[in-house]
Amino acid sequence: MIKVHHLVRRYGSHTVLDDISLEVQRGEVVGLLGPNGAGKTTTMRVLSGFLPPTSGEVRVGGYDVVTQSLDARRRIGYLPENVPLYPELRVLEYLTYRARLKGLHGSRRRRGVQKVLALCGLEDVRKRIIGQLSKGYRQRVGLADSLIGDPELLILDEPSLGLDPNQRRDLRDLIRRLGADHTVLLSSHLLTEVEAICDRTIIIHQGHVVASDTPRNIAGALMGHRVVSAEVRGPRDQIAAAIESLEHVMESEIIGEESGWFHLRVQCAKDVDVRARVAAVVVSNGWELRDLRAEVDGFEDAFIEMIRELNRA
Amino acid sequence: MRKFLVMWQKELTGHFLSSTAYLTMCVFLAVTGWTFVWTLSKNEAPGDPLTVLIAISVTMWMPIVITVVTMGLFAEEKRSGTLESLLTVPVTEWQVVMAKYAGAMSFVVVMVAPTAGYLFILPAVGVQMPSLDLGSLLAGYSILALIVGFCTAMGLLISLLTRNQVVSAIACFCAVCIPFVMGGVSRAVPQPASDVLAYLAADEHLLAFARGMVDTRPIVLYVSGTMLALFLAVRVLESRRWT
Repeated sequence: MIKVHHLVRRYGSHTVLDDISLEVQRGEVVGLLGPNGAGKTTTMRVLSGFLPPTSGEVRVGGYDVVTQSLDARRRIGYLPENVPLYPELRVLEYLTYRARLKGLHGSRRRRGVQKVLALCGLEDVRKRIIGQLSKGYRQRVGLADSLIGDPELLILDEPSLGLDPNQRRDLRDLIRRLGADHTVLLSSHLLTEVEAICDRTIIIHQGHVVASDTPRNIAGALMGHRVVSAEVRGPRDQIAAAIESLEHVMESEIIGEESGWFHLRVQCAKDVDVRARVAAVVVSNGWELRDLRAEVDGFEDAFIEMIRELNRA
Repeated sequence: MRKFLVMWQKELTGHFLSSTAYLTMCVFLAVTGWTFVWTLSKNEAPGDPLTVLIAISVTMWMPIVITVVTMGLFAEEKRSGTLESLLTVPVTEWQVVMAKYAGAMSFVVVMVAPTAGYLFILPAVGVQMPSLDLGSLLAGYSILALIVGFCTAMGLLISLLTRNQVVSAIACFCAVCIPFVMGGVSRAVPQPASDVLAYLAADEHLLAFARGMVDTRPIVLYVSGTMLALFLAVRVLESRRWT
């Protein structure tokens, strides 16, 4: 659906996108992730046909976004960052206008607008003036606009910006439902969101693609070790040393204490599960064990770690 | 064509939905009416024909009207970001520029047209007025429409160059004032510069046409000037694509 080949975009002498190549298959839900200023918005503007690439080739649905711009734009529903709307119009007026601009007329237009109103939960506010709506509703109006005409590709720039947790969950459900029969490319700085919605994550940093994989694989590849946490009662000075002497354990430390129970954090090699042996060593020493579990490798930790590494490099 | 009509309609409703539009319209009609009555009272025999008086009254306020109508055309869309959503649907830059232009022009025409009514209202309420030449009236309003068309195209182009409405308004006001003061300037400079400036003098053209002296040269000037400004506007809008 999207093919980007050696895309470079400069503003004056400042290079925002430096040789980006990526592909998104039909039906995929892909998250574009990166710190502020990484080039997420610029990438989306180029894909939507608003900005041309300085060099490189960008195709959407097989159409070049520069030379076949109108054909490409017909296939895209684009939600720009910060959701620009006309505040003086009513919701229904705005969506009707946008539907007509996208070439929907007559009964197709009425059905199309009706459909997105229902999909985005806007039926109750259809007669309200956009300028008087809350941020959450305005966001939904923008999303409804991008959905008009059932475009094959949805490009959503920070769709959950400024929403409260409930609204974010609704949006997440909606995007997941849309993902069933649309290709979706969304950007976000909320990692949990990307982890929850997307099949694949593309991480951009300073204009480069630094990773492109499922969130789980990215986390796995980045974290060189696993973490097991345990709560043990016994002599403080012996516990950590005894566990650390086990094979594959790299490090073991006490990170807390609660009425005689020591909370341990055990780091071990990536591919082994040391929990059974930790339990065995505790029991064989005659100590007590009340909790033992593998920490879920956080995508968020992996991401933060990665950005920190990249900044250092 | 259909998309042009859709956007034109949006522009028109946009103008008529804002309170500033009605305010501008009321204030404009009030001040031109007052100016017209004042010039009428100062006009001693043999004096100027009525069509000249109305031309003077309307022209005097034209730079302000055009500034108010055009300052936000693109500046506001750039500031709020709606230009981005407008240019990512399948419409061409030409369609966008022409729709904005047509919307602004229609609004100005709706605002200015009622001033012709003064000529008919005053006799009806018993004010003594010199006789009216309908041919000159038609000629005067035709050239006014062309001049306004040119100035509106200039205002649109200026509005496209900034995202700040105040900058846009000041620049537009200055630009629109220039053709209207050219007549006075041309009389103050020696030949041959004065001939060139006189050709560009909107005030002179307007008064000549209002006296019934129709000439094709100003028509060519304003039509080609309008086309040039709109062409440049399209190129500026496309220039975001140049790197």
